[in-house]
Amino acid sequence: MLTLKNLPWRNLKGYAGRTAALLLFAALMAVAVFGGTMMIGGVRNGLDTVKSRLGADIMVTPESAKNEFDAQTVLLKTEPGYFYMDASVVDEIRSIEGVEAASPQLFLASAKAGCCSARLQMIAFDPATDFTIQPWIEDTRLSGNLGLLDVIIGSNVSWASAASDNLIRFYDTECNVVGQFAPTGSTLDSAVYMNFDTCKALIQACREKGMFKYEKLDADAIVSSVMIRVAPGYDSEVVADAIRDKVDGVSVATATNMVSGIADSLNHISGTIAALIVAFWLLGMLMTVLLFTLMMNARKREFASLRAMGASRGILSGIVVREALTVNLLGGAIGVLLTGVILFSFNRLIGESLGAGFVLPPVPMTALLAAAALISVILATVVSAWITVHKVNTMDASLVLKEGE
Amino acid sequence: MKLTAQSVKKDFPRASKSSNYFTAVQTLDFALESGKMVEITGRSGSGKSTLLNMLAGMLTPTSGKVFLDDTDLYALDEKSLARLRNEKIGLIPQGHTALLSLTVLENVLLPAILYNRQNPPVDRAKALLMDVGLEALMTAKPNELSGGELRRMAIARAMLMRPSILLADEPTAGLDNENTLAVLGLLRKAADEGAGVLLVTHENEAAQFADEVYVMDSGKLSTQ
Ligand SMILES: Nc1ncnc2c1ncn2[C@@H]1O[C@H](COP(=O)(O)OP(=O)(O)O)[C@@H](O)[C@H]1O
Ligand SMILES: [Mg+2]
Repeated sequence: MLTLKNLPWRNLKGYAGRTAALLLFAALMAVAVFGGTMMIGGVRNGLDTVKSRLGADIMVTPESAKNEFDAQTVLLKTEPGYFYMDASVVDEIRSIEGVEAASPQLFLASAKAGCCSARLQMIAFDPATDFTIQPWIEDTRLSGNLGLLDVIIGSNVSWASAASDNLIRFYDTECNVVGQFAPTGSTLDSAVYMNFDTCKALIQACREKGMFKYEKLDADAIVSSVMIRVAPGYDSEVVADAIRDKVDGVSVATATNMVSGIADSLNHISGTIAALIVAFWLLGMLMTVLLFTLMMNARKREFASLRAMGASRGILSGIVVREALTVNLLGGAIGVLLTGVILFSFNRLIGESLGAGFVLPPVPMTALLAAAALISVILATVVSAWITVHKVNTMDASLVLKEGE
Repeated sequence: MKLTAQSVKKDFPRASKSSNYFTAVQTLDFALESGKMVEITGRSGSGKSTLLNMLAGMLTPTSGKVFLDDTDLYALDEKSLARLRNEKIGLIPQGHTALLSLTVLENVLLPAILYNRQNPPVDRAKALLMDVGLEALMTAKPNELSGGELRRMAIARAMLMRPSILLADEPTAGLDNENTLAVLGLLRKAADEGAGVLLVTHENEAAQFADEVYVMDSGKLSTQ
């Protein structure tokens, strides 16, 4: 049944072509604002996540591993690899002033044919001293104690290909997958995590297959890296310099160093996206206002007729405003929904193509950005409605009705 | 009810020419009473529509007043005047006045939904459409209708609110003979039912339906 309330909606339906175009541009604005800010939020969030998951202020690796380990890019792209130094460096490091905690890690890489389509990086922690991986396990609400041959997989390691019956095979050794980490948007997502005992067992298995690169090394006397937490009041850079000074044969990277690769691309990406947001929003805004005022101009005879029937200016304004609001909110909602679906289903692909850590912002932030996108679309409503209302209310209805006769 | 124009005059600004305005309607008096059908004829450009629009409350006179009974139309605020037009004055403007998104029936119902939240008088609208011979086209969209059919739709719409005044600006322009007679008959019937009807036309057939006939020439009104 026709009512004054649904008249705007009926009008929009009646002018389907133009309404579709208006919806498209409203959606464009919403996509630009919501999608763009979500992307920026995503890389920023990725940076924060990586920083917190790295969990250490300084990372020490063997100097000999320079070709395999580049601190600036290791979190963004790296080939699985392993390298070792003498375990005695751990104590040397602990004795340096400003080092609050130091915990060794052991690395290994799976064989290509072993289990999965690609080789996997394995990272093992020392349960007694670890302060980076075990808190992560707790955050993920998994049991903090990994037993022998228990592993946790990163978010990019697929359960399906890696694990059948929660088992994953490395060097013919079956390990139990007990959980999976949330994404960090970095290479940490492509690793498999375990404790020292498990790693040593796997090194042994690897050695037995004749695939271990460092045949002479004793697995009990080596470490791959040392994660360091700096005591409060000490500057990481200063402590890092002290380590470089006093410990031979190591290369030292600070967390700032390590995330700088991500931070750089973050700045670059954010700038580009911000420019795109502005460009597309302006385009959408311009087209919305143009199309809307053109549509209303083409219909001025209808508005004059309504006035002839006794519609007041207030009633005409109400019709105009509600048409603008309906079409823009609907278009905006379509844009937000579409963006949401795309972001959530392709967020890994987006991260890869951005070449930076990408972790979708949390739900409240997402809701906030979606609301901001809708508000930016409503701005177009305000402008187009204001122009049209002004036109409709200042036109001489009697003259309009005489024209075009 | 009685619609009265007292010494109304309309000047329009003119950009070029020697004088900077020209007078479309010279100062004149006019009255329209219930139950009467008054016809105004005259050449195109003589000021008929201008007078009709002033009577309808759509165009403010340069000087003079328009009364509906004791109400001075142009002393009302915009809202009250609009409301009064909606309730008391049925206006059939020149040309097409349909909302293209709505069906014929909905177009006729429009005046009833502007200020009223109750169910619109569908039965009355249907009866009016029957009277104007459009019962078969009630669910059609305006762009499926011919010019004559659209004009008849406008008449049905103008009569929906049972206005005491009905103002029709060339309602038969461009219609064939049969349609012309049908439209004139409808307006006569409205007058017989108590409305004051003003018909602006150049049709010769119209005179036989009207109670009074005036001629407009260069903004001056005279009896024939
Ligand atoms: N809004 C207006 N502005 C300027 N001139 C107008 C306007 N409306 C009508 N006119 C002029 O006033 C004269 C009378 O017009 P109108 O009342 O429409 O005549 P009619 O209806 O008898 O054909 C014409 O010369 C027309 O050009
Ligand atoms: Mg005219």
